[in-house]
Amino acid sequence: MADRATLERECDVFARYLAASAGDSYVKAQYVAAHEAGVVELAGTTAFQRRVVSLASSAPWSLRALDVHSRVFANGGLLRRKLVLLLAILETRAPHDVELDTPTAGSAASMFVRMAWIGVVFALLLVASTVVLAPVALLSRAGDSK
Amino acid sequence: MKRIVVVGSGASGVHFAQTALELGAHVTMLDVGRVAPSPVLPDASFARFKREHDDPAGYFLGKRFEGVLFPGAKGEYYGFPPHKGFIFASHERFSLRAQGFDPLHSFARGGLAEAWTGGAFPFHERELTDFPISAQELHASYGVVAGRIGISGAADDLARFTPVHENLSAPLALDEHSRRLEERYARERTRLNGELRTWLGRTRAAVRAEDTAGRKGCTKLGRCLWSCPREALYTPSITLRELQHDERFTYLDGRFVTRVEADDANRVRRVHVIELASGRAEALDADCVVLAAGTLASGKLFLDSLRAHAGSAPVLRGLMDNRQVLVPFVNLAMLRRRYEPDSYQYHQLALGIERDDPRHYVHGLITTLKTALIHPIVQSVPLDLRSALWIFRNAHAALGIVNVNFHDERRDECGIELEVHGDSTRLVVRYEPSREEPERMRTALSTVRRALWQLGCVVPPGMAHVRPMGASVHYAGTLPMSAERRALTTSPVGESHDISGLYFADGSTFPFLPAKNLTFTLMANADRIARHVARS
Repeated sequence: MADRATLERECDVFARYLAASAGDSYVKAQYVAAHEAGVVELAGTTAFQRRVVSLASSAPWSLRALDVHSRVFANGGLLRRKLVLLLAILETRAPHDVELDTPTAGSAASMFVRMAWIGVVFALLLVASTVVLAPVALLSRAGDSK
Repeated sequence: MKRIVVVGSGASGVHFAQTALELGAHVTMLDVGRVAPSPVLPDASFARFKREHDDPAGYFLGKRFEGVLFPGAKGEYYGFPPHKGFIFASHERFSLRAQGFDPLHSFARGGLAEAWTGGAFPFHERELTDFPISAQELHASYGVVAGRIGISGAADDLARFTPVHENLSAPLALDEHSRRLEERYARERTRLNGELRTWLGRTRAAVRAEDTAGRKGCTKLGRCLWSCPREALYTPSITLRELQHDERFTYLDGRFVTRVEADDANRVRRVHVIELASGRAEALDADCVVLAAGTLASGKLFLDSLRAHAGSAPVLRGLMDNRQVLVPFVNLAMLRRRYEPDSYQYHQLALGIERDDPRHYVHGLITTLKTALIHPIVQSVPLDLRSALWIFRNAHAALGIVNVNFHDERRDECGIELEVHGDSTRLVVRYEPSREEPERMRTALSTVRRALWQLGCVVPPGMAHVRPMGASVHYAGTLPMSAERRALTTSPVGESHDISGLYFADGSTFPFLPAKNLTFTLMANADRIARHVARS
């Protein structure tokens, strides 16, 4: 398990990704506590999954692409587990609950247009992240097997 | 004076006891009796609760984060509130193994109905044809129980399937999503009733709209899923608390009942229990024992009693449960609206699908999504979390779910029996769905999808979730009531044909299970049986 400072930094980056604002000290404390309780990092966590988390935390611009990749290829992996945990904590805590769950302005029709755009971006990010991460994954797997 | 001992404090047990007490009997209730945690910030709305509670994550997710539904977790669209864990917590003295069935049982005060969603749907006369009892008698008991606990509903289109009884009070005001569905139904009624044979109406729920007789009415705190802190939504522990004020009622909690002892004439004599704090065995003399511990626990008690008396125990066949399928939908007219956190959270509407055989009626509870935890749904969207969140926040108010219920019939391949391990026994539960079930589900779900489309809603493909057998917790049928005196059945008033003076007040005695939540009928049937027992 990562140390407290690393987990708090992760929490900060991931909260900005999900809720557009950093988590407060309570959110960070809960995020760390869940890791200490052993519910996040499972026995089968691979070195590659840890590298993905480390990259996401140190380079926030890459987080969405890594999330896309994980959603398709490692939905139960470490990054997704951390993000879902943080989402669960944020939704219980004001004012994050409202930030996460307030509709944006616009019509239903524009929502469908935006959803189509989301789909296109998702596909592009999936291709890009796969091209970049596939060799890394292969190298990690080879390293793990040694 | 007849010594009546009731085992279990669930929906059946407390209403049996209340009626017996009202008719002058003395009642002793034996129960493990796990206690619910005290309500927290009882007057705070859902939103205010999150602002004011000093550890909201601990409350909603649990101290060990057991309420977090991680990706790939098996199961439902929602997490079960951690502080309700006491309801389903097992007991080391109750050993159980199941095949084809995910059984739930409870040792809590109030039993399994402490976690119900309040659905109170009386059985129709057409659904009682296998019951050797008068429908009028049961319907009178529906009225009695409704007067006690408060049932809200309306005499609308659904009354053709769920009869109107005495003491039905006015329903709660609809949330906006449910109101729009109801309005759309009014416009589309001809097609829905004709081509799809589908009717929609107000649900029947054990929730009070107004303060009445010492109980508080619903003030729309939006915390129904997390246990109503005002107790506007009825649970049996409320009745248990009231019974404890009656001097003819004795509540012995911390007791695990092991068996009922009969004399050589097969007549009940005493009840054997373990006093859990000390581990000491006790025996209570009784003239009449009423098993109301739920179909599984009562069945095990009965089998353990037969085994102690006769040296062996048979198989109890005919276990039933309602198959449930959760069908999520999106109401296009509700997109990009703010959801209503301050509203009643459980089903406010229900739909009924008529079948050629009226016993095969299909029943659906329509719940619009409000204050359930959002992370289980968001993470199930096949996108990155940020995009999934954007879609969810704009669709939240438009989301809903139909919990489609199917009937069940007694079949020999489903049942319970004992497995002996030295001095102890384990309950073995076996269940196999009927061969007709896949086709029955396919046609009904197709009708539900088409009906929702008529109501302006879309069902996302591939999202229907078939719940495992056992998940509905509507267990019944192992000792059916029968007009004929046959072994392993009960009389029409729930008395065992194997051990006289032993009564079953829970679902064990139901010979048929319509596609409806059976809790209200359990209470009404317990009232009916208590009238016979107290007067005999």
